Amino acid sequence: MSRKPPRGEYIETDTGNKVARKATLVGTQNIMLGGKTVIQQEVMIRGDLIRSLPSSSSSGGGPPSNTAVAIGRYCFLSRGCCLKPPGRLYKGVFTYMPLRMGDHVFVGQNTVVQAAQIGSHVNIGAQVVVGEFAIIKDFVRILDGSVVPANMVIPSFSIVAGQPAKVIGEVPEGGHDAFELRDLYKSVGNNPQPAPS
Amino acid sequence: MSPITPYTYFQCPCSDSALFRPGDGSPSSPKNRDFGDEDGAFDPRAPRANYSLYPLEYLLYCEDCHQIRCPRCIAEEIATFYCPSCLFEVPSSNIKSEGNRCTRSCFQCPVCIAPLSVTSFETQPDPNLLGAQDHSAAHHGGPYVLNCSYCNWSSTETGVKFDKSNGIHGQLAKQRNGGTTRLTAKERKERRKELVQSGGSAQGSDHIADEHGIDMETQFANLKHFYQTQLSSSTSGGSGFSGLGELGFSSPTSLSRIMSIYTGGGSLHDKKSKSRLGNMREALEEDEGLIVANLDESAAIEKLRSEGLEGTIDTEQLQNQPPNLGEPHLHGRTRFTSELRPIPYLLRTKRSKRCPVCRHIISKPEAKIQTTRFRIRLIAGNYVPSITIRPLVLPGSSGFIQHPDALLQPLRPIQYMLTFKNPIFETVKISLATPSRTPGRFASKVTVLCPQFEIDANTDVWDEALKDDNRRKRKGEESGNPHQQPEVGKIWERGRNWVSVIVEVVPASLRVDLLEAAPDEEGDEEGEASEKPKVKREVDRGPLREDEDLLEIPMFVRVEWEVDAVGEELGSSRDKEAKEKRELAYWCVLGLGRVAQGN
Ligand SMILES: [Zn+2]
Ligand SMILES: [Zn+2]
Ligand SMILES: [Zn+2]
Ligand SMILES: [Zn+2]
Repeated sequence: MSRKPPRGEYIETDTGNKVARKATLVGTQNIMLGGKTVIQQEVMIRGDLIRSLPSSSSSGGGPPSNTAVAIGRYCFLSRGCCLKPPGRLYKGVFTYMPLRMGDHVFVGQNTVVQAAQIGSHVNIGAQVVVGEFAIIKDFVRILDGSVVPANMVIPSFSIVAGQPAKVIGEVPEGGHDAFELRDLYKSVGNNPQPAPS
Repeated sequence: MSPITPYTYFQCPCSDSALFRPGDGSPSSPKNRDFGDEDGAFDPRAPRANYSLYPLEYLLYCEDCHQIRCPRCIAEEIATFYCPSCLFEVPSSNIKSEGNRCTRSCFQCPVCIAPLSVTSFETQPDPNLLGAQDHSAAHHGGPYVLNCSYCNWSSTETGVKFDKSNGIHGQLAKQRNGGTTRLTAKERKERRKELVQSGGSAQGSDHIADEHGIDMETQFANLKHFYQTQLSSSTSGGSGFSGLGELGFSSPTSLSRIMSIYTGGGSLHDKKSKSRLGNMREALEEDEGLIVANLDESAAIEKLRSEGLEGTIDTEQLQNQPPNLGEPHLHGRTRFTSELRPIPYLLRTKRSKRCPVCRHIISKPEAKIQTTRFRIRLIAGNYVPSITIRPLVLPGSSGFIQHPDALLQPLRPIQYMLTFKNPIFETVKISLATPSRTPGRFASKVTVLCPQFEIDANTDVWDEALKDDNRRKRKGEESGNPHQQPEVGKIWERGRNWVSVIVEVVPASLRVDLLEAAPDEEGDEEGEASEKPKVKREVDRGPLREDEDLLEIPMFVRVEWEVDAVGEELGSSRDKEAKEKRELAYWCVLGLGRVAQGN
């Protein structure tokens, strides 16, 4: 880890991740970051909740992976949000399953995510709860305050809101670029660049 | 009123009333409009405006018509049907036969619409059996139920359980609430056939219907059967009064025509009957499909008394209920929660979109469900300059920085920076026009300091780096010292493919008592716009109406640019005047925020 300024707010890793010093990452060895991801202060990632079952039981011969949380590139985890792998009983034993997240995923402030899978180009608002084992496909927008019920599948190009959340609209054709988080990535860190107009 | 962030809406030309009602002089027509004149200015508060204003992302663009197209005017074609829950594609042939809902095991909770999951009904305290809760470990075979993990509704509340953990849709169709089985349409047909063959009367639906009364599907089948027999056995009744002849009610011809419409296929068409005239009798009994409305509601009242209001379902839940042909007609019945059925997911579609005028496809997604790519996607944002609005904060100004979401202070001038970004590869010339006072009772003053300017082409990204130093120079050259106050006739800032100009606004006071009698023609015009054509001189001092505190500026934008003439080969057009002028003009609405009340 290169630390250019002696005591910046963020730790900037070689792969370009910007992790706030005041973020809580538990079980870091089980957390995979794809790079260029921003983790703001007071974020919590529960990497300690790994699956307690030998994953080989059904899928036979896969490499034993201990990943609890996998995050792609250019994700942005806002202040106070929490990523927690979902858990359930499987053949009589309680086990956690990994939480996987694609690229360009924005997670708003104080949001709790317990999804099994989040695609790429997903915007999750503030104060949202994403229930256990939810599956969120690409180009989905979840508005502030939504509660996504457990096991819900949200197809691509959905705009979702409500408690419980339901699909309230469709992402228009011209709205794809708005999910891009490269500029947002540049605007935070120890040497933030102003967002272009 | 909660504050809002500034926004820009664009108007689609399909709302141009000149296309529909020529000579109407409707305010929303951009035709016959003079720049700088308020005549014919677009009124964003007009009821019609609701249907024509869209954020830029929602608009498409037809390259053949060179026009903006909006969700309201485009023609859609369904490319793929799929279930939003299991994400399986449904062939369009299935839509006709099975309907527009998922027929796998995807259901929504009838109480709260969260997804239902199939779980084993076994709730033994023995931890070894809890594994059955996972439906992938389905070898236990115990009864299964649909469970809502959000509100804890369970299909057991309506007495519905399943033998298998898959194919729930099919199992549910054979089950009434309470667990009693019902015949599917196919089974009923077979039963009827058996009855006919066994010599019994064809109208034996007493045996077919069960104790729940005749459900809608059975009733329809009975009616259909009745008319079928009527048609085949009608030997021209010939009774006098069929003045309408072939077209009369109950005439065999119209009957067979109607039946071929509603029962699908021309199987009922009887050639012989064509020549026949006369009437046939109508259904008279339940067996024949006549169901008399049950006006006795005492049972429902009794149930209401015992279950109370909590036992009934609300209108939203009722609306979400799928049509259930397996229940009797709703005559004289009340809806109780015990009648709720799990909601099979409505299918979703991928659609391509056509220009309404030239019929060219302007958006076409890949048909596969799992891909998010598009084959064609002509979005307006690639052709029309985008407009972003930000309050102008001068670097030299005192510490007071207005929060962009804050309410606007009445009568206090405020400056906004409008940034136009050119998406096309040509330099464009922009002309702006706004009314000097916004329409409505509370007219705010608007001044665009630089209504005409050019924006450089959206050049290659690599050029941006080279040009970057020029930016500051250009800015200095055009508006002098960047720390200076905004000046009339000068742009504020310029970049690779964008230009910022300043618009100055004096928000109106929202006090009704300060409203003045319309002093001039402008006032008249406003009165007209707010659908009050009767007495013009009278001041409307009514209380503040919905969204009257919203400061929205109508702005007419004209974009002009030149392109290489079509058909000309590249390079050879140098010497000739091979440039072609293009122009795009449209109304926009700049929403700045809400004006504070009370002063
Ligand atoms: Zn339109
Ligand atoms: Zn499905
Ligand atoms: Zn529910
Ligand atoms: Zn067209």
